[in-house]
Amino acid sequence: MDFELTPEQLLFKEQVLKFAKKEIAPRVQEHDLREQFDWESWKKLGEFGILGLHFPEELGGSGADVMTSVLAAEALGEAGVDGGLTLSYGAHTYLCADTIFRHGSDEQIHTYIPKLASGEWVGCMGLTEPGAGSDVASMRTRAVRSGDHWVLNGSKMFITNGAIADVAVIYAKTDPSSGHAGISAFIVEKGTPGFSVSRSLHKMGVRTSPTSELVFEDCQISYQNLLGIEGNGFMMAMQTVEWDRSALLAPFLGAVSFLLARCSRYAKQREQFGRPIAYFQAVKHKLADMKIFLEAARSLVYRIAWCKDQGRPLNHLEAAVAKLFIGDWSLSPTNDAVVLMGGYGYCQEYDVERVFRDSRLAPIGGGTSDVQKVLISRLM
Amino acid sequence: MNFDWCSEDHELKKRVLNVFHADALGELERLESGDSAAVRHITRVFVENLGQADYLCIGVGPEGAGQTLHLLAAQEEVAGISRSLFISLEVTARLFGGLVRGFLNGKAVLDIAQSVADGSVVGAVGFTEAATTEQGEERYRISRIGEKLIVSSEKDYVTNAPIADWIAVVLDEDGGKTVCLVRPDQDGVTVGPRMQTLGYHGLAVSSLTLRSTVVPPGYFFGPFDASALTDFLRQTEDVILSVASVGLMRAVIAKSKEYAQSHRRDGKPIFAHQEIRFKLAEMLTLYQSAQLLVFRAGWMIASGSEERRTLLRCAKVFSSEAAEKVSGMALQILCGRGYVSGNLIERAYRDAKYATIAGTTSERARMGIAEDVLTRYG
Repeated sequence: MDFELTPEQLLFKEQVLKFAKKEIAPRVQEHDLREQFDWESWKKLGEFGILGLHFPEELGGSGADVMTSVLAAEALGEAGVDGGLTLSYGAHTYLCADTIFRHGSDEQIHTYIPKLASGEWVGCMGLTEPGAGSDVASMRTRAVRSGDHWVLNGSKMFITNGAIADVAVIYAKTDPSSGHAGISAFIVEKGTPGFSVSRSLHKMGVRTSPTSELVFEDCQISYQNLLGIEGNGFMMAMQTVEWDRSALLAPFLGAVSFLLARCSRYAKQREQFGRPIAYFQAVKHKLADMKIFLEAARSLVYRIAWCKDQGRPLNHLEAAVAKLFIGDWSLSPTNDAVVLMGGYGYCQEYDVERVFRDSRLAPIGGGTSDVQKVLISRLM
Repeated sequence: MNFDWCSEDHELKKRVLNVFHADALGELERLESGDSAAVRHITRVFVENLGQADYLCIGVGPEGAGQTLHLLAAQEEVAGISRSLFISLEVTARLFGGLVRGFLNGKAVLDIAQSVADGSVVGAVGFTEAATTEQGEERYRISRIGEKLIVSSEKDYVTNAPIADWIAVVLDEDGGKTVCLVRPDQDGVTVGPRMQTLGYHGLAVSSLTLRSTVVPPGYFFGPFDASALTDFLRQTEDVILSVASVGLMRAVIAKSKEYAQSHRRDGKPIFAHQEIRFKLAEMLTLYQSAQLLVFRAGWMIASGSEERRTLLRCAKVFSSEAAEKVSGMALQILCGRGYVSGNLIERAYRDAKYATIAGTTSERARMGIAEDVLTRYG
């Protein structure tokens, strides 16, 4: 067993941290308050190479390993990049682009990956429906083959990047009688007749990430837009879980480091009863609990990334443990940060209330904590 | 980065597990309810057998820190089987043995260190001072007469003292720490009656009193730099207690799951009820999180990382408090069955508290972590 990161990995994390602190973090508060996607930061993420980090160089990526991708995502959180932008990045790169990269034809890969890796195009993934969340097999969106086309009907809910995406990976039932095996994945481009964004959703946190409902009404796409093999959609969606439990959880780790920095500086500067509040044991204990959570969570996320780098099939038990731990146990340290900073913590000036709001997604998105408990108890 | 154990780690674990064959496990059942004589006998048998398995000679003293991680998998196994025995073994090998091998020298000391490694002696360390009183100066006196050391001191909570062959007593002298080695039956040495404790009933703990005890040359050393010696003892204790907590959770989860699958309610195993299986999921999550954190702290100690103290404190606080939560949830799952004295879960519930108050307490550990955070992040 060895927990050492390579010098290259550490150096890259430092570079991302520096870049994000300078180029992105200063723009976060403004966009969060306006609930507005930050196109300028998106462009910068693309130029820096974050959006296509793990794709091969010939497709516009850097060929980075999973661990490096996780460290980059962690660095974004640590720099103070909001959960909205990191969520948009995660949905774009891992849930959409990576699925095309893994399962697409050569033509699909070369058509979409370079544009997605650079950030020229935005991607999204549509799996969840108004009536089908973790119970994926109950989805009602249908795709019916009609000559040289597929015709999609149905709707998708809580779709990150839905309103701004140029391309979407959409899951639909091609054989309603076959449960999971009747689900297939399709590539649908913006502007396709019958494909529309019905409404944007206003959220408690991750506000800079546009979340929408997507509607398909006799949406006709070419039969070539089928992604991978018909009936393999559920398997494809499940493969994104590896990224979901590593690179998409990593910003939460970084966010706790960000809170530690914010709260430490505040505790040293803020004076009450004639001394900095860092002097008080109650304040110190809060800082300690944040650090304990961070270090416990870090190992769980790194383990998923390392296993993926080894080419091992996802250990669903370990993945669910990581998701549950970060989902449920992150509530306390983010709450502590707000309380530690008192009135300032409650206001938007110091960003901790934003991290508090953003972190509420952790026990909900990508499979609720309850669903993780079902999985863990089934697999243990 | 590598999350797999290497072949040497597996080999050590296998050697250690071979010691715990069916007969030996039967013997261990008596440990928790045995008197001092039984505890002495059973502990000695395992010390001897584990000495022969080359378990006691690894990771000893500051120079053995590099093997901390290598030991952890085997340590967790032992802690999962018997926490009382685990603590007793570790106090002998890594605390007493580490102190002797790492800080003392001379022929007599080398012989004792070798005996520890072989598994032929049980050791103890008297470190914690008894509560001070007005007569403190009389009770705590250290003087050097000729080549001898004359010591009066009182120590509390000395693990293994009632069953030990040798006790290392840590004393304050001239702003540093002096260590002397005494035998329990030596003139001027009194091992107090075995303490009745909340948990760890298979562990022999008592006070220790030295009254004008004459320590011959070759059996006392120092004074040493207080921080180096104290850091070593605290670090060793905290690793032991963290692993004990992880081992506790592992045993408790296995028992709880077994019970949940066999005990039925409303016509089905209680495991089928979400109120039970969700508890088990949370228990496993706490266990795996704590286990990995302890492993990472062990790796940091082994690699000499600057952050090792903070990471170990994090691991100790998290694992010990997680063990309390996990044993509480287990008791809730087993209900009356778990509440009955002598039950593994009832025992674990009582034992879990120990790790939060022994070694570096959760409160002191949090203060240390926060100091580091304020320096590192502030």
